[in-house]
Amino acid sequence: MELNKSFHLYACFTRSMKRKSVIIVALLLVVQQMYAQGATDPDFMRSTGKIYVVAGVCIVILLTLLVYLVLLDRKINKLENRRHND
Amino acid sequence: MVVSVSLALLMLSATDRPTTFRLAVWKWGAIVLLLYVFIAGWIVPLHPGIIQVNPGTASAGDTVTLEVKGYNTSFLRDTSQLSAWLRLSGDTVLKAGHIRVFDDRQLKARFYIPAAFPFRSEAYPLTLIVVNGADGASVLPNAIFASPAVRHQPEEMSLWTQHKLQGIQVKAGIQYPFRNILAETIRNTYFHVPMWFAMILLFGVSAFYSLHYYRKGDMDLDRKSVAFIKVGLIFGLLGLLTGMIWAKNTWNAYWSWDVKQNMSAIALLIYSALMVMRSSVEDDLQKARLTAGYNMFAFVLLIPLLFIIPRMTDSLHPGSGGNPAMGGEDLDHTMRLVFYPAVVGFILLGLWISQLVYRVDKLKGNTWS
Repeated sequence: MELNKSFHLYACFTRSMKRKSVIIVALLLVVQQMYAQGATDPDFMRSTGKIYVVAGVCIVILLTLLVYLVLLDRKINKLENRRHND
Repeated sequence: MVVSVSLALLMLSATDRPTTFRLAVWKWGAIVLLLYVFIAGWIVPLHPGIIQVNPGTASAGDTVTLEVKGYNTSFLRDTSQLSAWLRLSGDTVLKAGHIRVFDDRQLKARFYIPAAFPFRSEAYPLTLIVVNGADGASVLPNAIFASPAVRHQPEEMSLWTQHKLQGIQVKAGIQYPFRNILAETIRNTYFHVPMWFAMILLFGVSAFYSLHYYRKGDMDLDRKSVAFIKVGLIFGLLGLLTGMIWAKNTWNAYWSWDVKQNMSAIALLIYSALMVMRSSVEDDLQKARLTAGYNMFAFVLLIPLLFIIPRMTDSLHPGSGGNPAMGGEDLDHTMRLVFYPAVVGFILLGLWISQLVYRVDKLKGNTWS
């Protein structure tokens, strides 16, 4: 019984976390891949006049702003839905 | 430009709102400026420069053959004017006796280092200058270090002033300055620096609304000030992250406990603490009052943290310890043409996002109350 209950809790937890953890694992894989590349070619970021540093900076800025806008969009969506339901 | 404008128009026509939506002029300004910055920031080439010289040392009274590796150079074009120089200071220069060009990026230059120097030192840092008709002058400061001669020969002193370095042509067209160590990352000036400008401005606007809240007591002003803090924090975080990526490849570490890094991190922590504090207070009125007071003090603290303390000690970061941040070769006239639009563009983008956040928060407040 006890075991069953804890298993049920675990199942609930995994279900809610499933989508998030998939994203997190994917991100971790990407980061790991980048590190692995770094291990074989430590000078990748510094090749061709360190242009990849500029690329990295631009990607970080654009991705962060994009994610922030998506979160904002989701917030607005929730508000619209609530309004619709009222 | 054309693509983005037509996409935006398409987006506007697709909205089924009863009232027609018109994007404000300053928002169009943000779009145009940022497009210009991303295009000009990426496509304008770097001035030719030298990235590597081998060997790094030489002894006086010897002949040394330097293997020179150029960046963006075209040594093969216009070889008639090709010459290589080692400069000790001012007009005290040596001309290469023989130059062999392998390709556009590689050449070998042979120098004889005289066994006499105009002044006494343990080692003499020499600047390498390669001149040709197409590239103008490519410079590498402290390219090699010459050690003093075992036997001093005063008659060789005249070799230093035998040739004069003059009549260098300036490379045609627009380009960004080549700075050793920085190389292409000089372009980060258009992306990393405006983040901090935007953050400071957003926090400033927020502090202004907080002051206003104290005078009027209007909850709407509190909502405004918080929206600007939220977006200011995002920009601050971006400034820190982009700075870390840049630092890893120029200072060799993501975080080197530099004053500028530490103080900006503290500034961000102060503002994060404000958001945490806000969420821990339940009463709305108390929340707004505490935020307004804290926010004004936080903005006042920002000034010593970002502008005064880093300038008082040595730092790797430009703008500290006597380094100029906004002058010299780090920001020449060509770069200013992109840098100032970048600052304005990112500030407008920050204001835009803050306005959206405020509008969402306002809607949320209306539906709940």
